Amino acid sequence: MVDLVYFQLLSAALFVIGMYGVLARRSAVLIVMSIELMLNAVNINLIAAASHLGYRSVGEAFTNFDGQIIAIFVITVAAAELGLALAIILRIYRNRGSVNVDEVDLMKW
Amino acid sequence: MEWAWLIPVFSFAAAPLIVVLGRVLPGSGSFLAILAIAAGFALFWWVFAGFLGAGAGTENCLVSAHTGTLTCHYQMAWFHAGLAGAAGSVALTWGIIVDPLTVAMLGLVTFVALMVQIYSLGYMRGDSRFGWYYAVHALFAAAMLTLVLADNFLLLYVAWELVGICSYLLIGFWHERPAAKEAAKKAFIVTRIGDVGMLIGILLIWREVGSFSMFDAFEAVSSGAMTEGVTTVAALLLFLGAMGKSAQFPFHVWLPDAMEGPTPVSALIHAATMVVAGVFLVARVYPIFSAYDGDALLVVAVIGLITALMASTIALVSVDLKRILAYSTISHLGLMMLSLGAFGYTAAIFHLLAHGFAKALLFLGAGSVMHGTDELDIRKMGGLRKVMPMTAFLFSLGALSLGGIPILSGFWSKDEILLAVNDHLNPAFIILALLTAFLSAMYMARAMFVTFFGNLRQEMEHAHESPASMIGPMALLGVLAAVFGFVGFNWPGSYQGIGSFLFFHEAEGFHFNWWLGILSMILAVGAFVLGYLIYIKDRVSLEGFRARIGGLIPVVENKYYFDEAYQWVVDRVVLVFANFIGLFDRIVINDLAVNGPANSVHRLGIAMRLHVTGHVYSYAMGMVLGTIALSIFWWFRSVS
Amino acid sequence: MENFDQIALALIIFIPLAGAIAAMFMPADRQKDVWYFAIVVAGLCFALSLYIFLRYDYGAGGFQFQDSYKWLPAPVDINLSLAVDGISALLILLNGIILLGGVLISQNIVYRPRDFFVLLLALGAGVFGTFAVRDLFFLFFFYELAVLPMYLLIGVWGSSTDFRTFFRAKEYAATKLFLFLVAGSVLVWIGILAVYMGAAESGFPTFSMETLGRLAEAGQLSEEFQTWVFPLFMVGFGVLAGMWPFHTWSPDGHVSAPTAVSMLHAGVLMKLGAYGIIRVGMVIVPEGAENWMPVLITLGTVNVLYGAVSAMSQTDLKYIIGYSSVSHMGYVLMGIATLDRIGVGGAVLQMFSHGIMTALMFLLVGAIYDRTHTRDISVLKGLFSRMGVTGFFFAIAGLASMGLPGLSGFIAEFMVFTGAFRTYLPLAVLAVIGAALTAVYILRLLALTFLGESDARWEHLTDASPVEKAVGGAFVLIMIFVGVWPEPLLRLINVSVDALPGV
Repeated sequence: MVDLVYFQLLSAALFVIGMYGVLARRSAVLIVMSIELMLNAVNINLIAAASHLGYRSVGEAFTNFDGQIIAIFVITVAAAELGLALAIILRIYRNRGSVNVDEVDLMKW
Repeated sequence: MEWAWLIPVFSFAAAPLIVVLGRVLPGSGSFLAILAIAAGFALFWWVFAGFLGAGAGTENCLVSAHTGTLTCHYQMAWFHAGLAGAAGSVALTWGIIVDPLTVAMLGLVTFVALMVQIYSLGYMRGDSRFGWYYAVHALFAAAMLTLVLADNFLLLYVAWELVGICSYLLIGFWHERPAAKEAAKKAFIVTRIGDVGMLIGILLIWREVGSFSMFDAFEAVSSGAMTEGVTTVAALLLFLGAMGKSAQFPFHVWLPDAMEGPTPVSALIHAATMVVAGVFLVARVYPIFSAYDGDALLVVAVIGLITALMASTIALVSVDLKRILAYSTISHLGLMMLSLGAFGYTAAIFHLLAHGFAKALLFLGAGSVMHGTDELDIRKMGGLRKVMPMTAFLFSLGALSLGGIPILSGFWSKDEILLAVNDHLNPAFIILALLTAFLSAMYMARAMFVTFFGNLRQEMEHAHESPASMIGPMALLGVLAAVFGFVGFNWPGSYQGIGSFLFFHEAEGFHFNWWLGILSMILAVGAFVLGYLIYIKDRVSLEGFRARIGGLIPVVENKYYFDEAYQWVVDRVVLVFANFIGLFDRIVINDLAVNGPANSVHRLGIAMRLHVTGHVYSYAMGMVLGTIALSIFWWFRSVS
Repeated sequence: MENFDQIALALIIFIPLAGAIAAMFMPADRQKDVWYFAIVVAGLCFALSLYIFLRYDYGAGGFQFQDSYKWLPAPVDINLSLAVDGISALLILLNGIILLGGVLISQNIVYRPRDFFVLLLALGAGVFGTFAVRDLFFLFFFYELAVLPMYLLIGVWGSSTDFRTFFRAKEYAATKLFLFLVAGSVLVWIGILAVYMGAAESGFPTFSMETLGRLAEAGQLSEEFQTWVFPLFMVGFGVLAGMWPFHTWSPDGHVSAPTAVSMLHAGVLMKLGAYGIIRVGMVIVPEGAENWMPVLITLGTVNVLYGAVSAMSQTDLKYIIGYSSVSHMGYVLMGIATLDRIGVGGAVLQMFSHGIMTALMFLLVGAIYDRTHTRDISVLKGLFSRMGVTGFFFAIAGLASMGLPGLSGFIAEFMVFTGAFRTYLPLAVLAVIGAALTAVYILRLLALTFLGESDARWEHLTDASPVEKAVGGAFVLIMIFVGVWPEPLLRLINVSVDALPGV
């Protein structure tokens, strides 16, 4: 069995890449994609940990599904969120002809 | 006698009736007030007779251990402060005392009030607020009668304040005149300052005794439960109230101004009744003043003497007839205080009564002059006896009586005072008291001669005598001003003179000190003769005298600058301080302490909003940094 | 009758609340109808409050008219339990009187009259509730219910005034009033939660004031705990009672508020604070109260003197009366702080007396303002000849305010002084002097405004309307009645004050 730490490293790498995307990208669409990347990083982490912790000891039956359940939740919420986000982005595009977040700075005093 | 409480109740009932029904009743309801006080006067005789017939065995009556007089006491529950019966609570009562002092005062108040109210029918005829005048008069009479009947300090204070407010209302009766308005305010506030002292004194006694009953207070003083220091302080605080009401130095400033009220009001309130309430108060609580060798009484005597002397000098230079009488009143009140301070309890009350009748007469006379001539400046008068013979005769009678001409009542009562001063105080007092007696005869002579004698002026020929409703009461008062002094004698039979009726502690018969009597007689007669020579015959010129004392004249004419000094204090100290507090409240408390934090939050908000850029990634960066910071924090915590 | 007694308190809260809700559905433009409806509701409340006052058995004392409705059960333990003692019964009567008076004289409200009366009735319900509940949670609830409508009533129906040197906008006054009162109630709320937690530690988690009172009596709440909780109540409720230096909301609120709101504000709302100190502070944390009383009496004395001196320098009628309220509430605080049976009794009587007196004053100022459109005493002159009855009533209210015997204020002030003299002599002497200062500003006001030659500018003035005369006359009669024969009120007060711990 592959050690848990490799999954976590993968997850961390994906998360940081996603974070970089959120912070550095100008395009709203790319930001949303980066967010998805971060969510998937979390999912990997969850499932890896769950499959690792699911066995009390090696050879026993798989009893704990908490991680998988949360991961499915995350996927669901992410899908809903994506739909909403894309709708907003579409509206912004209609109004402004651009999805550059630099130009959308009305959300301040 | 147990119905004595009805005497004020009649008038209390009359006052609101006149206010409410005045518009529909004939004469604006004035007859209600007169009927009420007449009923009170009738009842007074009944109470008087009952009191003379009562003895130590009569129900509710006993010979008080504190005053030595027969004292009848009736009371009923009023209210409980604190749960009835619980420790530290106190039950207040409507209670009355009937003792010689009360009976004497009842007689004075009901009689003078009745006379003045009848007189006012003529004097105030046609005034637009005729009904209101009588309503306040009735209220005043009721309050004054309650004051003399009260058996406890609270009820006394209640009545005390009520007479004060009636005085305020009546001084300001013609409030359209700015002077009257100001005078009313001044009278109320000045007396109120004294009243504060009095209330503190009452509460101090309460603190020591745990009761508002005067008898309990007397008991505590005589048993030593109230120590010398507290007793003296309490007595002096009570005396503050008496000083305010009786216009004693330095609170005397309100009384001359109070002459802005209608003249009958001056006669009743500011001569015969309310202003003597201070003297009455000291007499009523005399056991507190005279305890512990009467330390407080020395203060009373000194204040009385200063007042008497100061006021008589001002009266001598004043040119307004009513103000001369007002200063004369202050001076005589000072004499009464002096007498009380000299253990001359009986003499003080005797003089109070004699002065009350005579001074009321004088004021009514002045009112009659005013009614006939519309003038009060004595420099513009002269020879009025030719057009107003009755007024002139009666006024002169009052002036001679108060001036101390023998066999008129003022002579006997003033003599008693001089005797008390001579017996109990330092010789300096008697010398100054005799000087005051001389001055008081002198200003009376001046007022009388300048106004009524000499040549009638051209412009005064239209003056007319007053109607019978005004002369009648004056005549009755005149009779008393002339013969009231005879009640002081030991008449054959059971009556032992007013001294043994009013006595404090020991019955004292009428006594007469020949050298003092003759001296005071010489002074009085001399003053009138001198006055005649100066003001009528012009034989004696004052110019030399005036030149010699030169600088003093304007000081006296300006009433020793008391008004100016007080005005300065009010304008420069009180109002400035009030404005300072007003601004302090607006600027420091409101703008700085209240709006200050609000404004700084506002400014902070303006500063803080700058970090809100509106750029999504700056928000996201904040989130990330925050999360990292929290992670590090938790990591360190889990490590340590 | 027994059954009716049970629900009387619930009714007195429910009727104005239901009235307010019902009024919401009335047509907005029929001004007179809403007014009549509000009169009926307020009249019912008044009748009920009078009934409660008269039915209260002062011989038996204690809490009567008990009634309880479950809300949250045991672990939290919040119940709408209602009961009154003599103090509450008297204050409920006061609220009944002033609510009815305030509604009656509001016939000239033309701007959104429906909403005005809705809020006024809700305010009344809140005050009734605060006086009637025996549960800290609901006490707080009703307390807030009484405060909230105030903001709208002043902010919407108030008036802004230009004082030449500064300007007072009604919005400013309303916001300040609201922020002050909410800040105060936050402190109170912290205190209530602290008491709840404290009681929970002793094993009785409850909001019931009765249980908490018994816990305090049994010594279950430590003195240290009580000593830090009491100032929360003292300051929190004190803000509402106009305690110095948290008083500035009160005069500003008065200046901006419409007449009826001023009446309720000074007449009953300020009493809520003093009532809270007695009911919550003194009963639930008695030892803490005892430790803090020297501070409270000092602040009370400052109130008396500071309010009086400030009033002397004002030129606006409402500011004068507003500061005089600050001064008079000082007597209430002093009386409470004496912890003396006469002093506390005097404080309660002063609440009643000041409520009536100051409501009357604001009523009359409102009547003057309606006719002259100014409240500046340097402009108003000689009104007495034009507005005789108004002037007469104002004079009587003024005399009551300066403690003239024969009127209600005297008995109350006298009792406060009596209590204070045997507990805090020097401060009591200062307060007596403060009472004399009252005479200065009241006489100044009367002399400037009413006495003197009438000004040509005010020739057209008419006297108070019949309704104003009737309400004012009733208030005057109450003041005279209480001043001459206070025993009917004192009977209730005495027995209830006797039951307070620490007295």
